[in-house]
Amino acid sequence: MLSINNLHARVEDKPILKGVTLDVPAGEVHAIMGPNGAGKSTLSYVLSGRGGYEVTEGSAALNGDDLLALEPNERAAKGLFLSFQYPLEIPGVPALTFIRTALNAQRRARGEDEIAAPAFLKLAKEKAAALKIDFDMLKRGLNVGFSGGEKKRMEIFQMSMLSPKFLILDETDSGLDIDALKIVSEGVNALRSPERGMLVITHYQRLLDYIKPDKVHVLAAGRIVASGGPELALQLEAEGYDRYVGVAA
Amino acid sequence: MAAVKETVDTVAALEKYEHGFTTEIDQEFAPKGLSEDIVRFISAKKEEPEWMLGWRLEAYRRWLELDEPNWAKVDFPKIDYQDSYYYAAPKTKEGPKSLDEVDPELLAVYAKLGIPLKEQEVLAGVEGAPRYAVDAVFDSVSVVTTFKKELAAVGVIFCSMSEAIREHPELVRQYLGSVVPTSDNYFACLNSAVFSDGSFVYIPPGVRCPMELSTYFRINAKDSGQFERTLIIADKGAYCSYLEGCTAPMRDENQLHAAVVELVLLDDAEIKYSTVQNWYPGDPETGKGGIYNFVTKRADCRGDRSKVSWTQVETGSAITWKYPSCVLRGEGSSGEFYSIAVTNGHQQADTGTKMIHLGANTKSRIVAKGISAGKSTSTYRGLVSAHPKAKGARNFTQCDSLLIGKTCAAHTVPYIEARNGQSVFEHEATTTRLSDDQLFYCQQRGLSQEEAVALLVNGFVKDVLQQLPMEFAVEAQKLVAISLEGSVG
Amino acid sequence: MTLSTALKTGDLTALPSRRDEDWRWTDLRGLLRTLPPAAPAHDGKIPASPFAGLAETETLFVNGRRVADAEAASGVVALRFVALADKASQGASHSLVVKAGETLVLLESHEGRASGYVSDVLLDIAVGEGAFVERIVLVEDDAEAVNVVTAEVVLAPGARYAQTVLTGGARRQRIETRVNHPGAHAQVRLDGVYLLDGQRHADQTTVVTHAGVDGITSQLTKGMAADQARGVFQGRIVVAQGADQTDARMGHHALILSDKAEIDAKPELLIFADDVSCAHGNTIGALDENALFYAEQRGIPEVEAKAMLTEAFVGEVVDRIEHEGAREIAAAWVAHKLGGVR
Repeated sequence: MLSINNLHARVEDKPILKGVTLDVPAGEVHAIMGPNGAGKSTLSYVLSGRGGYEVTEGSAALNGDDLLALEPNERAAKGLFLSFQYPLEIPGVPALTFIRTALNAQRRARGEDEIAAPAFLKLAKEKAAALKIDFDMLKRGLNVGFSGGEKKRMEIFQMSMLSPKFLILDETDSGLDIDALKIVSEGVNALRSPERGMLVITHYQRLLDYIKPDKVHVLAAGRIVASGGPELALQLEAEGYDRYVGVAA
Repeated sequence: MAAVKETVDTVAALEKYEHGFTTEIDQEFAPKGLSEDIVRFISAKKEEPEWMLGWRLEAYRRWLELDEPNWAKVDFPKIDYQDSYYYAAPKTKEGPKSLDEVDPELLAVYAKLGIPLKEQEVLAGVEGAPRYAVDAVFDSVSVVTTFKKELAAVGVIFCSMSEAIREHPELVRQYLGSVVPTSDNYFACLNSAVFSDGSFVYIPPGVRCPMELSTYFRINAKDSGQFERTLIIADKGAYCSYLEGCTAPMRDENQLHAAVVELVLLDDAEIKYSTVQNWYPGDPETGKGGIYNFVTKRADCRGDRSKVSWTQVETGSAITWKYPSCVLRGEGSSGEFYSIAVTNGHQQADTGTKMIHLGANTKSRIVAKGISAGKSTSTYRGLVSAHPKAKGARNFTQCDSLLIGKTCAAHTVPYIEARNGQSVFEHEATTTRLSDDQLFYCQQRGLSQEEAVALLVNGFVKDVLQQLPMEFAVEAQKLVAISLEGSVG
Repeated sequence: MTLSTALKTGDLTALPSRRDEDWRWTDLRGLLRTLPPAAPAHDGKIPASPFAGLAETETLFVNGRRVADAEAASGVVALRFVALADKASQGASHSLVVKAGETLVLLESHEGRASGYVSDVLLDIAVGEGAFVERIVLVEDDAEAVNVVTAEVVLAPGARYAQTVLTGGARRQRIETRVNHPGAHAQVRLDGVYLLDGQRHADQTTVVTHAGVDGITSQLTKGMAADQARGVFQGRIVVAQGADQTDARMGHHALILSDKAEIDAKPELLIFADDVSCAHGNTIGALDENALFYAEQRGIPEVEAKAMLTEAFVGEVVDRIEHEGAREIAAAWVAHKLGGVR
C-alpha cells in the first residue's frame, strides 16, 4: 500500500525529514508519534504534495504509483486523503457543493462517470445521519463558524463521502474534547477495512485508545527512531520523548 | 489609576501655546526676498565650496520653472516668496567652538524650552536615563551640537549640515539629493536652493549609536522662513534613533518652514525617526498667523533587510503638508509609519505616507490617527504601491479619524496600487465622533469634560504613542491634550 | 473633461487623461488617438437581452439611437444599450423619474456585439420620496471597446436605491455612479463585481454625497484580475456638514491572479459632520493558498479550485441582489465568466 523509502525533505533551506522509511500495508493502521518539531506535519504535507516543501531524496508510493510526481489533486484521485489538523474555512462554498465538486473531479480523473445529483444527495444524507451531522450544516459555507469538533467531524464526513484508499490523520485529536474525540474515532474506525490503510499522526497517546494502531513508530529529528506494537505508545506516554531526542541527531 | 492621575495633571498644566515667546537677540539677516544673489549670499555665508553653490543654483533655476502644488486639501493665500528673509542667524564669531562661546540669551531660550545643551546637565540626570545628543538649530543656523566627541569615539558623525559640507564633503556629495532629488517637488526644490542648516548623521557599519540623537528647531526671527536639511546615513548593520522637535513664537504673519529630510539605509541598517512638531498653529479664534509646514521626508531602504520607522506627532503649524515616505528597494526591507495629527482652531493638516514596495518580500505598516476639532481640517493621504518585482510584499494600513465638534472635517484619501499577484495589502479606516456615552461615563466617575476628552483621546492614539521614546511620549501626550483644549462644550 | 464632450465636439483634448486626478488610472486621452465615426442606424434583427423574459417593458438603444421606450418607470424595466457597429462611436443619454412611493427594478445591459467601438452613456435617475430603485447593470463589452457609463442619481427623502454592477471590462471601461442624497433618511446600496482577463480594464467609480440626516450607505465591490488585466476601484463617500447620523460603510476586496495584473484602489472618506459612523476596508491579494491546497487535496484540480474559490469570493456581492431573477442571471454570468477565465 503506502511505501516510503529514505525520504528527505526541506523547507526553504532547512532539512526537516532526514531519511524516513516506512511501509503501511493495506488493512493496517500505523501511528506516528513524536515530539514537537520532529517533522510529523511535514511528513503529511510532503506525502500530500503541499507547496513549499522540497523533496531532496527518496521516494513515496501508493499502490506502486509514485506520489511525488503527482499534483495534490492527482494524489487525491489515487485515493490519498489527508485529514487536516486545522481544516480550512471556505466562505461562500457550501460543504455539499465542495464535496460534490471534489468527488466528481476524482471520478473524472479515474475515468469514472460523475455522480448524478439525486444519488449524491441520497448518499450525503445517509452518511450525515450516521455521523449525526445536521444536514442543514452542509448547505452553509464549508467549516465557516464551526467549532473545532464540528470541523473534525466534517473531515470524517468528507472521508466517508470520498471513500479514499489511504488516510492520513494529522493531529486529529487536537482541539477535541473527550465526547468529540469519541465521535470522530468511531467515524474513523467505521472506515477501517482490509483494503484501506491509515497513518495516524499524533503527539499524544490518548487518540490511540480510540483508534487502535497495529504498529507505532517514533519520529524524532526527521527519522523513524523506533517502531513497535501498541505497547510502545503506552511506554511513550509514561516516559516521554526524552530518550529519543538526540538519538537521531 | 495612574493614567487618569497623569491626565488630570496634564490638563491642570494646560496653557495655550507655551512656546510662543520671542527672544530679542542680535541677529544678522540676508536682504529680504529670493534671487540668485540671495542663494550666492547664503552659500558664501556658509563658506561653501564651489560644487555646493553650483548645486544650489541649479536647484534655484529649476524651482523658477515649477508650480506650487495644489492637490492637497489645504487652503491658503498665495505665498509671496519675495516677502521673506531666507537667512537669519544669531550674531556670533565664526560659529561657536564650545558652549561657553554661545550667547547666554540663546542658552536661555533652550533652557526655557527644556532642551538640555550642557552635557554635564544631561549626565547629572537620573542614572540609567537615556542620554540625548542635541543639535540646536536657531532660525537659519546650528548654534551648538552636543556630545560630538563621545560620538566620534565610536565613529558616529553628528554635526550641522554646514559643518558636514566643509568637513565631510565626500559623504555629502555622495548622498545629498540622492533620496529627494532637487526637483522632486516645489518645496523640496526651494529648500535645495536656500537651505541654511540642519543636521548630518553618519553611522558607520555595524555601529549601534550609543545615544539618542536629536535636533531641536526653533524659528525666532520675524518674517523669516526656515529651510533646514537633514541627512542621515546608516551604513551596513548600523542603528540609530533620531528625534526632532520644533517650536516657534506667536506671530500674526505666516512663516514658511520647508525642510527636507533624507535617510539612507544600507544592508541590515535601522533608523527610527521621531518627530514632535509643535510649530505655532496660529490664533485659535481668528486663524491669524502660524507656520506653513511644507516638508519632504523620505527614507531610501537601499540595503537588504534594512528597516525604517517614522513616528510623528503633529500638533502645531497652521498648515501641514507632509508625507514621510519609504522607498523599500532592498530585499526584505521594511517601513513603518506611525502618526498622530491633531488639528484645532483653523489648522489644516494634509499628511500621510508613501510606501513604495520595489524589492521582494518587503513589508510596510501604517497606523495613522487623526483628531480634528474646532474649525480645522485633517486629511490622511497615503500611497501604497507594489512594483511587479516586489513579490511577497505586504502592507497593513489602519487609519482612524476622530471628530470633535460640528465644524471640523476629517478626510481619508488612500491610494493603493498592486502590480503583482503575490502581495497582500490590507487597509482599514474608520471615522467616528467622540462618543457621548464614553464622555458621560467618565464624567459620571468624576472627570471634568476636558479631562474626559484628554483621557479618551489618549486611548485613541495609544498605539502610536507607544512607538515614541519614553520622554517624547510623555511630551507628546501633553501636547495632544493642550492642542485640544476648549474643543468640547 | 468627458468622453461625451469629445464625441459631441470631436475635440480629443476634451478626453480625460491620467493628469486628471479622478482619471489617474483610466487614461482615455493616451489611448484614443482618433475618434471613430458615428455608428450608423441599424436595421436588422436585435439579439435577445441577457435579462430576456424578466422585464415587463424595455427601453432600447441600438448604436446610440433610441429604438424603443419603456412605458413606465415602475415595475421591472429593461434598459438596453446595444452596440452593433464595428469601429464606430455612439453616445446615448436617458433620464428616468421614479415617482414617490413607486418601485422600479431596472435591468440595464450594455451589450457589445461589435468590435472596437467607443461608447458613452449618460443616465439621470431621480428617485421620488419613499420610492425604491434596484438597478442591476450587466456590462459585456468587446475586448477592444472603450465604454464610459455615467449615472447621476438623486434621492428624495426616504428613498432607497440599490445597485449592482457586473462587468468583464473592456480595453478601457469606466462605470461611474454619482449618488446625491440631499433628502433625509435615504438608503443606498452600491455594489460591484469585476472579473477581468486578457488585457481588459474596468474602472468602477462611485461618489456618494450625504447632505441630509440619517442616511445609510453600504458598499461592497469585489473583483478579480488575471493575465494582464487591470481593475480600478474609486469610491468616495462625502458627508456634508449637517448630515448627522450618517452611517456609511465601504468595502473593496480584490484578487490578483497573475504577476502582470494590476489592481488600483482609492477608497475615500470626506467627512464634514461629526455625528457619523463611517468605515472603509480594502484588501488586495492572491487567493488563499491554504484554501487552494485544501481543495486540491480533496481532488479538485487547481484551475477548477481557483474558479470555485473566486466564485465564492464574489458570490457575497451577487447574494445581495434583491430581485431573484436578476440574482440568478448574475450568478450564472459569474459562473460562465470564470469558466472562461483561466
